[in-house]
Amino acid sequence: MEPYSFELPETLDFHSAESVYRPLQMLISGEKPPSAIVLDFKRVKSLDSAGAAVVDRLQKIAEQKNITLIRQNLAESISQTLQLFQLQEQQSTKKEEKPLFLEKVGDTGFSLLHSLGNLVLLLSNMMYWSFIAFFKPGLRRKDEVIHQSLNIGANALGIVGLISFLIGFVLALQSAAQLQLYGANIYVADLVALAMISEMGPLITAIMVAGRSGSAIAAEIATMQVSEEIDALKVMGIDPLPYLVVPKVYAITMTLPLLTMFANALGIMGGMLIGYTYLDIEILPFYNEVLSVLRYKEVFISLLKSFVFAWIIIVTGTYFGFKVKGGAEGVGRVTTASVVFSIFWVIVADSIIGLLFYFR
Amino acid sequence: MQTPIIEIKNLSSGYEEDVLILKDVNLTIYPNQITTILGTSGCGKTTLLKHLIGLLTPLEGELIVLGKNLAQIDENEMNSILRKMGVLFQNGALLNSISVAENIAIPLEQHTSLSKDLIEHLIRIKLELVGLSHAYHLLPSELSGGMRKRAALARALALDPQILFADEPSAGLDPVTTAALDHLLISLQKQLGMTVVVVTHEVNSIRRIADRVVYLDNGQILFSGTLDEALQSPLPQLQSFFS
Ligand SMILES: Nc1ncnc2c1ncn2[C@@H]1O[C@H](COP(=O)(O)OP(=O)(O)O)[C@@H](O)[C@H]1O
Ligand SMILES: [Mg+2]
Repeated sequence: MEPYSFELPETLDFHSAESVYRPLQMLISGEKPPSAIVLDFKRVKSLDSAGAAVVDRLQKIAEQKNITLIRQNLAESISQTLQLFQLQEQQSTKKEEKPLFLEKVGDTGFSLLHSLGNLVLLLSNMMYWSFIAFFKPGLRRKDEVIHQSLNIGANALGIVGLISFLIGFVLALQSAAQLQLYGANIYVADLVALAMISEMGPLITAIMVAGRSGSAIAAEIATMQVSEEIDALKVMGIDPLPYLVVPKVYAITMTLPLLTMFANALGIMGGMLIGYTYLDIEILPFYNEVLSVLRYKEVFISLLKSFVFAWIIIVTGTYFGFKVKGGAEGVGRVTTASVVFSIFWVIVADSIIGLLFYFR
Repeated sequence: MQTPIIEIKNLSSGYEEDVLILKDVNLTIYPNQITTILGTSGCGKTTLLKHLIGLLTPLEGELIVLGKNLAQIDENEMNSILRKMGVLFQNGALLNSISVAENIAIPLEQHTSLSKDLIEHLIRIKLELVGLSHAYHLLPSELSGGMRKRAALARALALDPQILFADEPSAGLDPVTTAALDHLLISLQKQLGMTVVVVTHEVNSIRRIADRVVYLDNGQILFSGTLDEALQSPLPQLQSFFS
């Protein structure tokens, strides 16, 4: 068969590359390709990397189909440019192999187990250092406990208080109509007090703190990790756990229960407002009713929950902070993951504790 | 003498009102040459480059790039000038959330209508030019500092720019890779007629590639001339630099 001849345009560059490449590529990969194709460079005056890519690419696909590509009338300067932009290395044609379904299941299971192991390891390390660093304040960053307590606790008072007040208010509002039907107005106090103290108070506070401070903890540690600050600390002989994390552990373990009590109180006040305005219950009877229904058990559960939640938040924040991969964009990823993960486990723990104490 | 490709006239500028970083800079850059800019760190080299690519506007003076006065052109004209420039930033400035190949694909997809396989082929060519063939699928965070620099250079070269600005391309590179990079710059200048403006401190590199040398000292041009003139200059700063 006659070799097919193609005359290349004067300038083979970013503008004309596609219009040269497309027809020739179709010809080569088409039904009946010629056994040889002649690229005539007679007119070509200038050629850039896009032009070189066209020639090089055509060469590669022609080779695969056993077609000879002949370059004709090649000027010296054009030939040099072609050479500069010619791919030397064999393009790796190997495709990434898709893992089998069972392999994937196995891998996922293994990595879950691995993460769980790391989490447990981190938890025990944090407990150990929290104990040790209590007696050796020199291991901790100076003034950090106070700083963190202010950050995690005091600065959250406003938002936590407001939200709890609204929750108590809404709880009372929703039940008021029902209670009124039975003339059981005063029981709104019991309802709000129990619901706030054993459930809503700890939960709302923990969710707020996970969003505010858990994310900040993860982001701070992750940022230090990717910018090699953690490595620098280690080289200077400082263990990052007692130095960075333990002050936060103390701060959150102290402030989350206090915040929770504050949230409980404001929630009950929210209920009181509804009782006063909607159900005609005076403040004092409402208050007395609240006191009469509360047992040590509720207060204890409230404190226990907030303590457990505090540890869930700090451990997940720390875990994800240290787990960061990549650069700045990795920080965003682990921060989000840490918030989602800690809120999830706070709710799981809440259910478990609820079952333990109230299931009969 | 050729017509200049870049002219800087009486440029004064700074980041804050009262602190001038560049003081009355006059500089002419000719096409198809490699100009190296040297000077102690903090003397204003990066600031000067940022003016040339329109990221900073001068307090006083004129910038004429490719025949256009940057102060007098609209956004469209600026874009068509930018399309002819490739810029390698001092810290690489790769987008970290996408792979090296995707980084290089950005200018190609933005400014050309090439098909997917040609773009892929071009990316491979550019990566091979800077010696990073294996980094195609990697993320910038999986590269070393010097590799990131080279990947960023590949991105700057994606569209065969008329003018290539490179801010310390060989900082953090080993001498072998630096030499390879120098040869690449020379080939690009010879074969594509590229104008190259490089900020660099590598004396060996300057000796290899420079057509012209500019010495910036505390925001002022202390010296501007050919490589030979620079080598024979009696200025103590240049002498201590080249000795
Ligand atoms: N974004 C900025 N804001 C204020 N000052 C800056 C900024 N960037 C650089 N500078 C100052 O400008 C001067 C020159 O910086 P630069 O041009 O980066 O120097 P170099 O020659 O090392 O590239 C330095 O004194 C630096 O502190
Ligand atoms: Mg600089």
